[in-house]
Amino acid sequence: MSESTVAVSFDVYRFQPGKDAAPRYQRYTLDLTPHTPVLTGLLRIRDEVDPSLGLRYSCRSAICGSCAMQINSKSRLACETQVGPEMARHGRIVVEPMRNQPVMRDLVVDQTPFWREYSKIEPHLKLDPRRPMPADRPTPMTPVEVERFKETPRCIACAACYSACPAAEADPAFPGPMALAKLYRFAVDPRDTAHQERLLRIQPNGLWLCLRCHLCTEACPKDVRPSERIRDLKEMAIAAQGATELGSKHAYGFKENLKGAGQINEMKLVRATFGLTGMVGQIGQGIRVWRKKPEIMKKPRKIEGMEELDQIYAALDPPPKEGP
Amino acid sequence: MKIAYYPGCLAQESAKELDMATRYVCRTLGIELVEFPNFSCCGSGFIDEANEALNIAINARNLAIAEKAGLDMLTICSTCQGMLNLAKVRMQDPKVRARVDGALKPLGIEYKGTVQVKHLLKVITEDIGLPAVKAKVRRPLHGMKVGAFYGCHLLRPADELQSESGEEPHSFEDLLAAVGATPVDYRGRVMCCGFPILFVKPSTANAIAGRQILDAKAHGADAMATPCPLCHTSLDAYQNKASKAVDSPLDMPVFHLPQVIALAFGATPQEIGLSRHLVRTDGAIAKVSASPTA
Repeated sequence: MSESTVAVSFDVYRFQPGKDAAPRYQRYTLDLTPHTPVLTGLLRIRDEVDPSLGLRYSCRSAICGSCAMQINSKSRLACETQVGPEMARHGRIVVEPMRNQPVMRDLVVDQTPFWREYSKIEPHLKLDPRRPMPADRPTPMTPVEVERFKETPRCIACAACYSACPAAEADPAFPGPMALAKLYRFAVDPRDTAHQERLLRIQPNGLWLCLRCHLCTEACPKDVRPSERIRDLKEMAIAAQGATELGSKHAYGFKENLKGAGQINEMKLVRATFGLTGMVGQIGQGIRVWRKKPEIMKKPRKIEGMEELDQIYAALDPPPKEGP
Repeated sequence: MKIAYYPGCLAQESAKELDMATRYVCRTLGIELVEFPNFSCCGSGFIDEANEALNIAINARNLAIAEKAGLDMLTICSTCQGMLNLAKVRMQDPKVRARVDGALKPLGIEYKGTVQVKHLLKVITEDIGLPAVKAKVRRPLHGMKVGAFYGCHLLRPADELQSESGEEPHSFEDLLAAVGATPVDYRGRVMCCGFPILFVKPSTANAIAGRQILDAKAHGADAMATPCPLCHTSLDAYQNKASKAVDSPLDMPVFHLPQVIALAFGATPQEIGLSRHLVRTDGAIAKVSASPTA
């Protein structure tokens, strides 16, 4: 059975820092069947048209995580992205290196920032020396314990999530989705004895810079769903030590805020996050906005059925532990 | 059509202009808005971070209100849409369901999960349809180049929310074209506006907003338009800060989605509250070439 081919136009990012003055896009056109992976196309370009094209790859089977790159602006594995749907949607395939990591050559990036964040979260079990793991047999886990990992053990460290992340792009203080998903994996591991310490360390170190934009979850080829595990970490961190950062104070303050009227009270929320003294810094912008939108100073209307909301809070939001 | 109107907090408070424009558009298209004074805030993604079960329960209560009335829900905010929809998804998990029902049932609240939650963008493009929209256009927005800015929670996670696409949607651009505007294609259209960390690290949040505005500008946009009042806050009310953060002068008018449609339907700037914006919109409106064709 043969499948008909279509002309596929690749616009490939080419750049050698130190040699080229600026990046350029080179057009290559190949006849390919629609199900051909982008990686196969790129390897044909390298093998048959232009041996100078630089790219990373290995397994070609979405296992090794080497061939992550931007394909029509989406961070994806080139080995599992087919040319057909990309051509149908865009009429061409723009291939660029991953974002948020400096380009070394063409599609090859320097992954130092990505791995540095990974090592910072100490991605290894911290055991209790008084209770060593048995050397002669595996350590069993219950199905409930295994379930808590969610899909995080599937991560292949391809960095597609890191490439897709707008927080990592804008702020080097953000550890990135993969490192945080990995932190989650250790923070729920029943063999690990440093859960509390891990949460204490991450709360002031970038956890609350996650934008919950879910671009990492879209990019992840293994459905690790980093954005959802980061959400879990946030709730775990507040439960473990209370709200200690602006981010957790804002989330916690928002939750408390609804207790009055069932709708948000904007002024009260700003005060809960920044404190009375911190509000001073917000005054200039506040006045600017208030002149156009005076409602920011107004108390919201109290919803009908507020007593229902009160009872939902009473049932599902017991009083927190004391802060540190 | 008749639908339960879930305006969300902001459209009742600092983004009243969004409510004004929504009512104008719905009136014109024959969408009857049924109001429920007992709807609460959706938690805006923040309560979800502090207490997931509580967040689901709050929204299950909102969903149950519309269900009881036998109506689907209309949202006008990407975040409300995402939170209400996500509560529906989470309630499919039997353990979550049991826990939340444990809080709701004693109050006589029964959540069934039958209600559909639809953003105005979807109601207009799918239920009403673009031909019916075109039929109501009195002043086509020819000559105005508009960058659609979707807002994350309308799109993602695409699998759970069953959105049109996580990164490559087109319904908003289709709608803009239907009212005569020229949609602008730019990467930032599906990116984050920075709002979730506006009170966590303002400098980073403002820089993220600034990047998207600069991207729209670089691709020739006269204005941006968003289906989310949180994005609007970040892009319009804080545009002066965004400008400083990206060290570049910005003067980008930002419309709420129904404002653009209402303009094409013949609304005056007063009727849709354009004077309430921080960045003036008259420059973009002046780009509209044709005179009214009533």
